[in-house]
Amino acid sequence: MRVTIHETRGWIRSARVLALLLAVASGSTTWAEETGKTEWVPGEPYPTALLDRYPCHDYELPCGNMAPPIVQQVEFSGELTGDSALGEKIATNLRWGNCLSCHKLPGHPEGGTIGPSLADYSTRSLPLSYTYQRIWDVRVFNPNAHMPVYGPNRILTPEDIGHVMAYLYVPHAENRIAAKQD
Amino acid sequence: MKTKIPKAALVAALVAGICPVTVFAAEVRHDFWPGRDKVIPHVSGDEQFSNTYRYWKDEMSLDAAVTAGLMSHEMNYKDFRWREKSLEGEMLLGEGQELFNTANEQGQSCASCHGADGKELEGTYARMPKYNERLKRVVVGPTQIRICAEERLGRKDWGEDTRPNTLLAFYLASLSDGEIIDVDVNAPGPVKDSYERGRDLFFKRVGHFHFACASCHTPPSSGNYLRGQRPTTFFGDAAQYPIYHFPYQLAGDNLSYIFTMQHQIRSCQQLSRMYQGREGSAPMTDIETFLRASANGYPISVPVSEYNMNTDYLERSQQVSSQ
Repeated sequence: MRVTIHETRGWIRSARVLALLLAVASGSTTWAEETGKTEWVPGEPYPTALLDRYPCHDYELPCGNMAPPIVQQVEFSGELTGDSALGEKIATNLRWGNCLSCHKLPGHPEGGTIGPSLADYSTRSLPLSYTYQRIWDVRVFNPNAHMPVYGPNRILTPEDIGHVMAYLYVPHAENRIAAKQD
Repeated sequence: MKTKIPKAALVAALVAGICPVTVFAAEVRHDFWPGRDKVIPHVSGDEQFSNTYRYWKDEMSLDAAVTAGLMSHEMNYKDFRWREKSLEGEMLLGEGQELFNTANEQGQSCASCHGADGKELEGTYARMPKYNERLKRVVVGPTQIRICAEERLGRKDWGEDTRPNTLLAFYLASLSDGEIIDVDVNAPGPVKDSYERGRDLFFKRVGHFHFACASCHTPPSSGNYLRGQRPTTFFGDAAQYPIYHFPYQLAGDNLSYIFTMQHQIRSCQQLSRMYQGREGSAPMTDIETFLRASANGYPISVPVSEYNMNTDYLERSQQVSSQ
């Protein structure tokens, strides 16, 4: 799969992204290295010391005055090559993708009901690029959607999302889970 | 995205040779969850949100809802957070009461000023948070306790997130059990300002997930399943705090499973991957002012339990289904 990201708001956003890219290219490559803090390991509790990277409630701190993450429009092309078993793990892990909190998933009827059920996602014939955008940054479709902004806030990587999509697009997922249990 | 930059500012910045990124940072606007314009500082404001208020607005409505077999989330959990007192919580009230009456080395205790067992503080918690004239700031219950302890008793280690402070807050709130909450946020002044800031913070999207408090505590999320939980609507919720919260607690807690409102906000922040505020800080106080004023007109009920320890409802639902 091949993924490209671009911002949705003209030259101002481009300038910000450029500045960010320059900052990253000129020195360190990750936030953790920039700040000297331990990076989050997906599947582990999120280190509370890292949470001031994002907008926060405390207006007495810099994070309280931080702009929201920029809306990112992404494109997806090529084949779906992810690992659906790993995708299932990412989607159901409370400390990783945590999709299960709000959605019922293939093989997981115990999921939440805040978002629509995705148990039969493979039967809906939705384009890969649509699904990829929805997971990466749902605000392109609905600014008030409940979903986390998985891409812009680096919750999931493009590869992670590829795995989750492979899991969602596997046909007859219920049978697959049942077969695995036998 | 709702970010707008005045063109004049951009031109000025470019003329001055300043990078536009700098201008952008000075013009920060936030994303908000919808609904801020609909809230009112009264518990009946829920009619504009979950519209379950009719089932839990008073005891008669609640009795009718329970008899009709409604589920707890439709009654905003008032079926056990209001009607049923918590025995486990009551046992801990004794610890708070003892702290209140215990004298320090100089013979001073909370009771020295407020009367034995805090008789003079009955009803006070229903009007917290309040503006403290001397400190020139709005204070929540635990902050007032911390300040009293520091200044009058010389206890520097009774901060808002400590066990003695939490036990005292729990006990003092219980002295207002049944009192109608009345936080005046209509008169212009610091409490109204705090309420409005708190309202905006409650609806502001923050953190790793880019969620607001309102993301979970307004419909359609409240009323639906978030994993095994159904979030409450924020109207009337503060009336049961501090609350007995067994078995859940944050790592490092030593609070006897009692959650003050401040601690509950911090717990929610942790679960939602938001930066955790300092209990008693100005922004955390603002959020509590908003939540307490959103319970205006509702009676305090302390001590109650966060989770239902009573299994009578299982029999009730069987009776309803067999009818």
